Amino acid sequence: MTGYVGGDPYESPTFGKALSLRVDGGVNAISINPSGRDVVLASRQGLHVIDLDDPFSPPRWLRHITPWQVADVQWSPHPAKPHWVVSTSNQKAIIWNLARSSSDAIEHVLHKHFRAITDINFNHQHPDILATCSIDTYVHAWDMRSPSRPFYTTREWVAGASQVKWSFKDQNVLASAHGNEVSIWDLRKGSTPLGKLLGHESGVNSIDFNRFKNDEIMTGSNDGTVKFWDYSVSCTEAKRTIRTDFPIWRGRYLPFGEGCCLLPTIGGGDSVYLASLTNSVKKENSDTKLQPIYAFKGHTNRVIDFLWRSRSSSDAQVDDREFQLVTWSKDCDLRLWPVPNTIYDKVNLDRSKRLEETFPNYEYMTYNKEPADSRPEVSNDYRRRKEKFVTSSGIHKNDDVNYITWLSGVRMNHTGSPENIFTERTIQNLGEEVSSIGHKFPKIIFEKISVSTGELIITLNGPWSDDNPEEYVFLRIDVKVPTAYPSKGNSPQFSIEDNGNLKQEQREEISRKLEEIANKYTDSGMYCLEPCLRLLLGETINLDDLNQEIEPILNFEITDQIGLENLSSLPSSDGTSQYLSDTSSETQSDHYKAVFDSSENKELRNPFGRDLTFDSTPVPNECGAVWTPTGQLLCFFMSESNLEKKQQTMLRLTGKTRHQKEHKTGPRAWESKDSSAEKPTRKNSTRPKRYVETISTQLVSSKSINYSSDDQDSDGYSTDSFDNDWSDILRNEVVVRTKLPPLHGNFTKKFTSVHSDSAKTMDSWKKLKNIIFIKDFSHLISDRKELALEYHLTNSNLEQVARNNALVAEKYNLDEISHCWQVLSDMLMTKEISDPYDLMWDNHPMGIRWFVKEAIKFFEKKNNLQMLAMLCCVVASQATKHLKTAEDEDESRPLSRGKVESLVTFRNNDTMRSVRADLHSHYSSSLASSSVEGLNKNRHSPDEVSVKSEDYFSARHQSYNVRTISSSPPLPTRSQQPFQSRLPDLNVRLIQDEVLDAIDDPERHLLDPEDAKKFRFYSYQYAKLLYRWDLPMERVKILKISFSTNSTASDIASQMIDENKDLFGGITTTWEANDERSVHFQNCNYCGLKVTRSIFVCQICEHIMHSTCATEWWQSSQECASGCGCCCPEAFPM
Amino acid sequence: MPTIANAHNNLIHDAILDYYGKRLATCSSDKTIKIFEVEGENHKLVETLTGHEGPVWRVDWAHPKFGTILASCSYDGKVLIWKEENGRWAQIAVHAVHSASVNSVQWAPHEYGALLLAASSDGKVSVVEFKENGTIAPLVIDAHAIGVNAASWAPSTIQEGPGAQQLRRFVTGGADNLVKIWKYNHDAQSYVLEDTLEGHSDWVRDVAWSPSVLLRSYIASVSQDRTCIIWSQEHDGGPWKKSLLQQEKFPDVLWRASWSLSGNILALSGGDNKITLWKEDLQGKWEPAGEVQE
Repeated sequence: MTGYVGGDPYESPTFGKALSLRVDGGVNAISINPSGRDVVLASRQGLHVIDLDDPFSPPRWLRHITPWQVADVQWSPHPAKPHWVVSTSNQKAIIWNLARSSSDAIEHVLHKHFRAITDINFNHQHPDILATCSIDTYVHAWDMRSPSRPFYTTREWVAGASQVKWSFKDQNVLASAHGNEVSIWDLRKGSTPLGKLLGHESGVNSIDFNRFKNDEIMTGSNDGTVKFWDYSVSCTEAKRTIRTDFPIWRGRYLPFGEGCCLLPTIGGGDSVYLASLTNSVKKENSDTKLQPIYAFKGHTNRVIDFLWRSRSSSDAQVDDREFQLVTWSKDCDLRLWPVPNTIYDKVNLDRSKRLEETFPNYEYMTYNKEPADSRPEVSNDYRRRKEKFVTSSGIHKNDDVNYITWLSGVRMNHTGSPENIFTERTIQNLGEEVSSIGHKFPKIIFEKISVSTGELIITLNGPWSDDNPEEYVFLRIDVKVPTAYPSKGNSPQFSIEDNGNLKQEQREEISRKLEEIANKYTDSGMYCLEPCLRLLLGETINLDDLNQEIEPILNFEITDQIGLENLSSLPSSDGTSQYLSDTSSETQSDHYKAVFDSSENKELRNPFGRDLTFDSTPVPNECGAVWTPTGQLLCFFMSESNLEKKQQTMLRLTGKTRHQKEHKTGPRAWESKDSSAEKPTRKNSTRPKRYVETISTQLVSSKSINYSSDDQDSDGYSTDSFDNDWSDILRNEVVVRTKLPPLHGNFTKKFTSVHSDSAKTMDSWKKLKNIIFIKDFSHLISDRKELALEYHLTNSNLEQVARNNALVAEKYNLDEISHCWQVLSDMLMTKEISDPYDLMWDNHPMGIRWFVKEAIKFFEKKNNLQMLAMLCCVVASQATKHLKTAEDEDESRPLSRGKVESLVTFRNNDTMRSVRADLHSHYSSSLASSSVEGLNKNRHSPDEVSVKSEDYFSARHQSYNVRTISSSPPLPTRSQQPFQSRLPDLNVRLIQDEVLDAIDDPERHLLDPEDAKKFRFYSYQYAKLLYRWDLPMERVKILKISFSTNSTASDIASQMIDENKDLFGGITTTWEANDERSVHFQNCNYCGLKVTRSIFVCQICEHIMHSTCATEWWQSSQECASGCGCCCPEAFPM
Repeated sequence: MPTIANAHNNLIHDAILDYYGKRLATCSSDKTIKIFEVEGENHKLVETLTGHEGPVWRVDWAHPKFGTILASCSYDGKVLIWKEENGRWAQIAVHAVHSASVNSVQWAPHEYGALLLAASSDGKVSVVEFKENGTIAPLVIDAHAIGVNAASWAPSTIQEGPGAQQLRRFVTGGADNLVKIWKYNHDAQSYVLEDTLEGHSDWVRDVAWSPSVLLRSYIASVSQDRTCIIWSQEHDGGPWKKSLLQQEKFPDVLWRASWSLSGNILALSGGDNKITLWKEDLQGKWEPAGEVQE
């Protein structure tokens, strides 16, 4: 099965076999390359192209991440456009060109529907034409040569369209399903249907034209019937009806013979049914029950779609096609089913009949591989930019991890019976073996996997160093697997790369062993990669046992045999824990010795090869507390009972060691009673500092517990023999730790679990050990989410804002804050009635300015960020309010001397906007939202108050908007006078106003301009807090307030930079990307060059020209230069 | 919030909620990291991350703009970066420049990018940047001779003017009883020692830079000598003022210091298995604000 990947369908390793591919990711639509080589799966993540001849190579992924489920995908059936795939994305249809690089594969976007597209169908005769239908009830037919708009449009008002299909025989006829009806259309006859098929009692899910007979069509519906019509005869009475006991999801004619293939929406055993249509239909016999001639059964969830993969010889004179059924199901399995020969007979496939025309000759190639001359990935960038976290490139690029998961989803068998294959779980081929190894040994890295050619490159670390058995040597192994593997005489060839750390002799030795293992296994027809890799990882492989093992691959668990057996023989329920601990450590060290043949003379070393005497890792904390964003304290503790014991033992131990070291006399260590009395002082002096010391104490402590619990004598014993024990234990522990090689995959896991189990019994850790809980201390924290939720910030009446905030604070019993707001509100009230021209009061020593300053000082000391930010913002927006009134009056104000304020208004003419919105449809939303107000928004000059828009983000739209307009000012004024009214109006007006003068005066501000920077910083910090509290609207309001008192141009500029910097991610970035698209407008229909500015757009046909070209063209012609037949000038009075 | 008992088979060393307070990550001597989803009173174990070969000391969530990313550090000398995508956790990067136990990890304020600070017992701290082009650029700095026990970033400060560079600073505490302040130097492209603070008489176990940015910078350092020192700096570049949190010594060694989100309250935990809360009064004195015991 391996070896071949290439250009002839008759050498395909998968044709005629059963195959199952697991593809996760919510794939909802599938289509097949007409050559039968590739299938394309469409999901919300984009397209996945799978090479059916090399199912082990992972799919090519064309990213297109959308929130909308892909309704349909279709591969172009024409040999002329073998690289085209069309898929839906909500109301748009996307034409992919698979011959381009994945990042740049979108060739066209068809956008004219208003609601989600439900079906797409390529015309069977004409490669450039396709039809789409949507739940907006429209059916559009598109010509890819001018994809900007459909060339044919029709609609059926009754219901959204669910299906659209072209006739196989007549390239002008198509049918669409609307609710219970099916309408047949002819392109040449406008939107009057040729006929309406009435008869289904429920929604029609599928339509299919007959491939061989004109005017014949079959429809499948939720009412459980499939009807066959001849619409030239009758549109109300079906020629034939097949009743089933399930609703029909898809029903199509077989591509061969006379038969049909049915797919249930629900029920029906999740099978695909074939029915024959051969028996001549008599009138009375027209209504029959489904009598399937074959059912493809095996999926565990509903089947979403089916396809036929076919092959035929290129110069066939007779019909020699062979078929394979491809199904995609909701159970995430893509399955290939061989078609039994009996089926061909049952549907009267006449193999001997001479073909009138040969089958189209498709190039048998795959689009699974990225094209070699792929352009640099540019346009793809923006999709990733949203999440800026980037991983180390190596992993991601090769998708190693995915590859293994992918491989494990591939199941293939050698013979043709699908049923048992899909259930059987033994290793069937190299791909499955590799995937099983990949899962078992996560530390082995597959640098290259090519199952089809049998090449693997593996890197791993094995204990092959001569000087130091603890050191791991990096190995890189090239494996060549013969095609006939694992049959006798076809053992894989291993070659270990030259490596400075590995001696030549050793390399040869390993190679020799590998060869021996490989031969031995393959001689008995068994897969041998796993034992070979185990050898490389340093395990011993016993070839003598081979014959006794029935399933060596699947059950090759060394630990099962050595570790657990021994342990399970221990009297674990026995109360004598001393015995237990001793034995377990003994047995452990024993079998480590057995397994690793380790040397006895270990230094004080920890598992990572570090010298423990210099390990300064501190003793780990046993409890802790961390604040949560909401002012709660997250605490974790070790539980009491456990803790005490531990502390005591630790204490005693360290005491002991000290005694021994310092005095060498003390026969007795401290007893727990003594120590508990002395605890507070003593403990600290004796508490170990380094982690290393506790590693050992943990072990020792268990012993001493046992001793003390036994009787007093044992205490003496323990001190006597303490030195011995200590070193014993240490050694054991060290052995344990050094022998925790990270490289053993499963083995490690088993191993550690063994270890911790025994540790449990040793230290009597059975009780409640640790606990995590949250304690609410939010009353201590002055920043409160509740306040943020209820506070007002902007309102026409600031006094009311302050009063409201005072009440809010009062509600939460925050007297200080409430008072502050109260006073502020009173002061603002006096301001309300005062003349805005009277600024004296502001600066009064006891005036509002003074108060604000004092309040801010106070809350700075109180560390109350929320209050500071709120105060600053409320007071800062004070100045704003007066500007507003000024602006309201601006129209009536005469121009006179004084300061000049500029107001820029941008008004979109309605018709113009609609045209433009259509033109670059994907911006329409942004255009709409950044309407009139968007443009004159200048956030940082005093006139920012004229911004009425509540939308913070419109600032971003604004800059974008400006860009668009400047790059494409719509119509030239020179030649197209009549159109001028369609231009957006741009008014620039200078207003002079003494009120503005006053406001611009820094004195007017209630905040000290010196501190503006600080206040901005506070509000920024508070905004961050709000974001964390999940209050984006509040955050936006805060950020809207500007503190700049005397804004200069540079100030604004710097602000803009600041603001446009993405503070919180995910908000702005998409715009940059769209920018790129905006340039790739269209070409002029006259001169063929790219249009970037001075466009003429016909409002009817939407063809565009340079304005100069348009002038030239219309001097001589009345029709559109594109030749679409539109009389553009007629649409506009010229 | 629920009480989670026996989440791990061994000591828990760190537990931290994510940015939105919805997910809890805990790590333990049992070499695993566990992720819980926390909703009201309920909690659900969603994942157990295995991969470290030694006890896991600390975990830290990255800012959500980078994705759901968790960093963990362990006795095995490695820092592992984990990422959740579509409900699946995977280890996406390994940062293994240290030759001894890595005792703390912390993500930098998100404005700086995906920047990770790790402190190790090999005496070094490392700052790793996960760059957009997929490379990682570790800066390794010799910090404390015997070992670095903790490191903590200063909160981000925005400075005026276009293209202004943020003042990036962090603080480290080590087994040489010192606390050191480090500052990013753009010309040197590295972090340089800005200040060395002497005050403790035993290993510094934890340092925490207060997120408060209002009047002055605060750093809390806790030590094996049973004291906690609050270091404060009035303005950037000014001298650091030392003040003991309380004059008398704590009953046991202190392990951990944590500031609340805007720096109002300091929580200390120590060997007496007690958590104490501290708050600064208007006179600048620190007073107890609460206590938690198991």
